[in-house]
Amino acid sequence: MTDAVSAGGGESAREDAVWRWLMLAPAGLLLALFSVLPVVNLFALSFLNITWKDGRSTMSAAGLAHYLALPADNLFRAGLANTLVFALFAVLGQLLLGFFLALLTSRIRRGAILYRTIFILPILIPGIVIGAIWKLMYNPDFGLINQTFGLVGLGPFDWLKSADTALMSVIIVDVWHWTPFCFLLFLAGLESLPQDVYEAAELDGATWLQELLYVTLPMMAPTILVTMAFRLIVAFKVFDEVYLLTSGGPGTSTEVISFTIYQRFFTEDRAGYGSAMSVVVIFITALLLVLALAARRRRESAT
Amino acid sequence: MKSIILNRRAALGAGAMLALGAYSARAQSKLPPITIVINQSPWFASFRQTVELYEKETGAKVNLDVNPFAGSLEKQRNSVRAASGQYDVLIMNSGWFAEMYAGGFVEAITDIDPGFKLDKDVYTLGDTVYYDPAKKVMTPAGKLMSMPISPLIPLLYYRGDLYKRDGLKTPETFAELEANARKLHSPPKMFGIVQRGARGPHTVAYDFYPYLYGHGGGIFKDQAAADYSVTLNDEKGRAALDYYIRLAREAGHPKTAAFDQTEVIQQMVTGQAGHIMMVIAAWSQMDDPTKSAVVDKVEFAPTPHVAGVPTSPGLGHWLGGISKNVPDDRKRAAVEFFRWFQTAQAQTASAKLGAIPISAAAYRDPISEERRFRWMKPMADSLKHAVNIYQFPEASEVIAILELGLNRAIAGEITSVAALNGMADEIHAVMAKHNYKTGKAAPLK
Repeated sequence: MTDAVSAGGGESAREDAVWRWLMLAPAGLLLALFSVLPVVNLFALSFLNITWKDGRSTMSAAGLAHYLALPADNLFRAGLANTLVFALFAVLGQLLLGFFLALLTSRIRRGAILYRTIFILPILIPGIVIGAIWKLMYNPDFGLINQTFGLVGLGPFDWLKSADTALMSVIIVDVWHWTPFCFLLFLAGLESLPQDVYEAAELDGATWLQELLYVTLPMMAPTILVTMAFRLIVAFKVFDEVYLLTSGGPGTSTEVISFTIYQRFFTEDRAGYGSAMSVVVIFITALLLVLALAARRRRESAT
Repeated sequence: MKSIILNRRAALGAGAMLALGAYSARAQSKLPPITIVINQSPWFASFRQTVELYEKETGAKVNLDVNPFAGSLEKQRNSVRAASGQYDVLIMNSGWFAEMYAGGFVEAITDIDPGFKLDKDVYTLGDTVYYDPAKKVMTPAGKLMSMPISPLIPLLYYRGDLYKRDGLKTPETFAELEANARKLHSPPKMFGIVQRGARGPHTVAYDFYPYLYGHGGGIFKDQAAADYSVTLNDEKGRAALDYYIRLAREAGHPKTAAFDQTEVIQQMVTGQAGHIMMVIAAWSQMDDPTKSAVVDKVEFAPTPHVAGVPTSPGLGHWLGGISKNVPDDRKRAAVEFFRWFQTAQAQTASAKLGAIPISAAAYRDPISEERRFRWMKPMADSLKHAVNIYQFPEASEVIAILELGLNRAIAGEITSVAALNGMADEIHAVMAKHNYKTGKAAPLK
């Protein structure tokens, strides 16, 4: 009897597994079709040269040539270096500001909705409008920023056209644009923290700073890590802000990797080389994601 | 009042002409609509008005798909590589028309209509309207592939009123230009010269060509003979780049490395530039009182050169080609548009609308004597010396190399010698990769 039950259970489990896979199959196929296949195609293209004659494309093997040419590409090197600097400082700024604003908003009892709405406004604005807004803000002749500096006798500065300030100026725009994203995630995280821990800390006579350092931050660490991972990945893909504000210049001071790919792949029509560059960037982005997930896992297992 | 007497023969002739005209208009109106893909440039407004004139005169219908410079190229590539094209006429820049010819994407006009003849007054712009696919060269022995649309070359724009005030002479040589620019240089209110040094799809490189070729230099040894040995980093190239940078630093704008066409024109029309070397398409903005503070104060001259070398403006022209992958009736309709566009009447009318004529007939027209068309004479003088910079389809790769190297040198990231040697190495690698006959000079020290 026991054996029969066990045999029946095993059969039922197998049936469950079959049904589970069958149900998942359409979604899996779609995922493969729209996500995996294009990447595989991109990868294959990165080993080819494509030329056009008589209106038809001709493909020829390039081997590893495109990958081997990458380290010698000045634009690729500058793009990679600037993207790392951009991602690091932009995400750091967004995390700090977002956390600070979320902390303040979580303590507000009256008008919280109004503050939330105001703080998330930048994320709702289309990229092209952000480009227009900040191009005007940074204008050396009539921009708001220079007018403000002018009140104390400084400037005018040509923020976007000077190699010394251009990258910093684009980072500021990105911080302004994406801080609301961090703010929203942090606010949700803060509001879901258990209140009894705070009550216990209060009873123990913890100061505001101690509460922040020893209660809030440790409990928010998973949220901060996930937010940072998301933002790092998106920051690594920055394109529109650079395209609209500086086009990568002056010199290579604001060249970022997405812009380099755009130039090599589209403007210069080097599909094979552009694909190799894209594959490397996908790898780096995936690596960032893996590192962030590993850090989260380490933290979870430690606690 | 003068009376008009018609005899029988004259009346019959007039009747026949009217009938022919009516037939022609009817035949034109039966043409299918065509779509032209074009970029948004300073000369676009005049082209649009010229097209409207064509529609009014013939009853034909033309749709314009207007895009930014790089966007236009991208749309053209997508259209010509598809099984069936979206655009009938491609407005191709000097930086990419060779790609369209060599790729087999453009159909020869004379293959569509063997009776089509290019008007004898139309500039062939370094014979870039012809292409011989077998020899891969642009010579009149090849087929007529395109119609010039805008024969853009740069001219020197200078402040005539300030020249008169300071008793300066119109510069012919680079030394004279530098002396005059230094004389007018009084930053931040007035910059002796404002240059277009930003990196873009074809920006700083295009600005640099008159300097390079005006110094007797060049990118390649002899393109017409298919010798693509790189000569960019010879002494003439160094003299040209050093001159460009010196002018920018000592008599130019401190933000030269970030200035594109818009900023350069803006500096001139706001009265902050003594000189600019700018594509002639911007002339109408100088005298537009709604846009310019220097109306009637800007004069024009051929771009300067060193002694013994003629003015050498780089062709930044636009050609109209007919897509191979569109229906035959639309191809024929496109040919009809070209047939009308090249006439002396259409060209003179388009000049009055602000366009740069492609026909010598328009430059001979009495309008060229009018004050507002004072750019026409230097333009006609310059056109015969215009240099076709690229004859091969991989030009965009070379342009990208120049854009980065020149911009970095102007921004001060690298020295002119490092920039020239680096660019020469990269261009050589590109030409070798595509199996052209090439070589390179000893690096500059």
